[in-house]
Amino acid sequence: MSLEELAFLALAVVALATAVAALLVRELVHTILWVSVFFVDLSAIYFLLEAPFLGVLQLGVYAGAVTILLLFGIMVTRKRIFSRDAATGLGPIPLALAAVTFIFLIASVGEFPNSPTPLQTYAPALLSAQLFGPNGPWLLLLGLIMLSGVAGAIYLVREGRE
Amino acid sequence: MDASSFIGPFVPELLLLGAVLLVFLFDVLGIRRNEGLSTIAVAATSLALLSVLGDLGFAPLGVFATLPPALLDAAPTGAPLYAFTSLGLIFQAIFLLSALLVCLASASRPSNEKGAPIFYGLLLLATLGMLLVAVATDLIFLLLAIEVTSISTYLLVAYHRRESRSLEAAMKFFIIGALSTVLSFYGASLLFGAYDSTNLFAIGRATSTVGFPVLVLLGYGFLIAGLAFKVTLVPFHAWAVDVYDGAPSDVSAFLAGGTKKIGLFAFFLVFLGPILYIKAIGAGESPFQGGALDLGPVLTLTLAVLAVITMTVGNLLALLQKEMKRMLAYSSISQAGYMLIGVTIGTAPAITGATMQIFAHVLMKGGAFLVVAGVAALGIGPLIDDWKGLGTRRPLLGAAFALMLLSLAGVPLTVGFVSKFVLFSSAVQAQGYFVWLAVAGLLNSALSVFYYARVLKVIFFDAAPTVPVAPTAPPPAEALPAGGLGYGRAVTIGLIAVLIVAFGVYPQPVLGAIQAAAQHFITVGA
Amino acid sequence: MTALPVEGFLVLSGGLLAIGIFGLLTRRNFILILIAVEIAMNATILNFVYFAAFAPTAAGLSGQAIAVVLIGFAATEVAVGLAIVLALNRIQGTINVAQATELKE
Repeated sequence: MSLEELAFLALAVVALATAVAALLVRELVHTILWVSVFFVDLSAIYFLLEAPFLGVLQLGVYAGAVTILLLFGIMVTRKRIFSRDAATGLGPIPLALAAVTFIFLIASVGEFPNSPTPLQTYAPALLSAQLFGPNGPWLLLLGLIMLSGVAGAIYLVREGRE
Repeated sequence: MDASSFIGPFVPELLLLGAVLLVFLFDVLGIRRNEGLSTIAVAATSLALLSVLGDLGFAPLGVFATLPPALLDAAPTGAPLYAFTSLGLIFQAIFLLSALLVCLASASRPSNEKGAPIFYGLLLLATLGMLLVAVATDLIFLLLAIEVTSISTYLLVAYHRRESRSLEAAMKFFIIGALSTVLSFYGASLLFGAYDSTNLFAIGRATSTVGFPVLVLLGYGFLIAGLAFKVTLVPFHAWAVDVYDGAPSDVSAFLAGGTKKIGLFAFFLVFLGPILYIKAIGAGESPFQGGALDLGPVLTLTLAVLAVITMTVGNLLALLQKEMKRMLAYSSISQAGYMLIGVTIGTAPAITGATMQIFAHVLMKGGAFLVVAGVAALGIGPLIDDWKGLGTRRPLLGAAFALMLLSLAGVPLTVGFVSKFVLFSSAVQAQGYFVWLAVAGLLNSALSVFYYARVLKVIFFDAAPTVPVAPTAPPPAEALPAGGLGYGRAVTIGLIAVLIVAFGVYPQPVLGAIQAAAQHFITVGA
Repeated sequence: MTALPVEGFLVLSGGLLAIGIFGLLTRRNFILILIAVEIAMNATILNFVYFAAFAPTAAGLSGQAIAVVLIGFAATEVAVGLAIVLALNRIQGTINVAQATELKE
């Protein structure tokens, strides 16, 4: 087993464990801790996949901004921080759905010829060509999404008399 | 790519974007009178509508055409993100029509609302997303365009930000929407992994030549589940009633009449490709034939089952409802089942029928929700029984609503009859087990007559309560500020009623255009 | 560098998706639901990055571009969700989805 495979294995285990922990721990503040570990861990996986740009973006946006946003949300709505009723109501249907998904995915594993292609090396010029070249409209659409999200979100939380 | 070649085809979209920015600018400047903003929105949507109709080649509107004719229905080269098919343009026109009707009716909203610029801005942004869905040829482009609409509509549902009903509906909508988004993007990622492309043509072609059965099947499964939430197909429908019920009625009209349809067009784009390609090369040569799975029939059968379940369950639940808005919401769910028949069969007549049904539904259901909004503004309660005697006290409003219900039930001389006739006869033409789809559709139409007839009986034949109307439930707060029906709503409802009859008696222009477009769509796709 | 095993990645992303969907459908606290959405979204992004990294052609790099866009989109989604929940919190004082029952009959 190569070093990369070992590293991946370790990171994957950590990712799964922190994801479960984030959803099951009793206090919301601890949830944030676990989920930020999860985000950082995924960023490490991106570095392992020779996608450093995404790794950095993941660190900045997820581990940074999203974590802070969530913390902020908890702070403002702090009345309910420590009282989470029905924390572990394991509904059978979602569990079954999730399990079926998982089994199916494992079933699809055998279809791939066993990892024949080598990893693409990191090519920032190619990535930016993808982002701003023929696939540029994706970013434009993201801009539209953000425009509507920001305008509506500001309206919702803006103070002011009706 | 120089700017002019980019601007030309996208004039309707840019018009809407310009209006959005203008409206937001007014918000910053503190100009928030509802009437003025409504005028801007109506102007932008109607100009965009004229432009789209001009592009489609309606002769009198040629002046407004902006799309270079060479781009219309051009054979795809390479892996484009968007392409202009005439079916896509017809859907753009339908989407713009629904937005136009809602903007027009919203002129009757209270004129002193602080959030009016945001309301119109989000409405126009949602419409912009819908227009972009109609030109997508790339899975990611399609899903992102759907998200433009989704994010805008979550916030539109939350528009009454001091009312818990509105906010709770928004929260439900958001959770379900987020789930649906994740599922569809995950499906897209699996297809991307299998075929190394997100172009819909490339994926469609690849499904018929390259085999990764389980991965691809799983990818399509996730996409069906994700999109089914948007279209409110039955196992994924539970959210719709609560959301339509809790949202401001004008927004419900937009959700049921407009935004829901983008999911259906997405179904056209995503599933017709592989179904058609596999049909074209013949089942024997499909790479899936050798394995345990044959993708085309599997997809078709899944969609057929979903369609039948959706129309039946929707109708049965509609029978049980006591509130007008919830009844209409369930009837809207069952209508989605009829529309899905078109995707399932995938022939030109079937696509024509489904498109016609979508067009009719924009008028009928959009109109019905606008009537509900108007009736609430008159101070009448939300229960069906509260509407007793409406036909005698407000004959015109009652007649318009009756017309919409009759059209929903598919009574001749209304547009609802035309669309159902085309759709079901295409199912009979297609032979095979598709005939059973027509049978199921007819039985369901018969079933739906029961609850529409009950409403008609309440409106016209039950005596009005002798005491001046006392709502049995506390009226939704949107009823309080507005007084009376309002000109905007009255005009819109009248217009819709006229259109329902006009296209019911003389459907040829619309039907002909849709038929030609559907034919093109199939040949370009295959 | 050597290739990483595809099995491992599909198991990881499938597991994360399953955890995310499960959390989304069973948690009652809105913040936890948001976190569940983000976990599932990260599974999707991981898929795109992974398939881009092992794509047979350089065109597969579009997977990384998609991942960039999706990260931005997911952040917007969190912001919108939080805005809704803050507005609700202001009038109701609860962010517990189970208590938001005014719409139920």
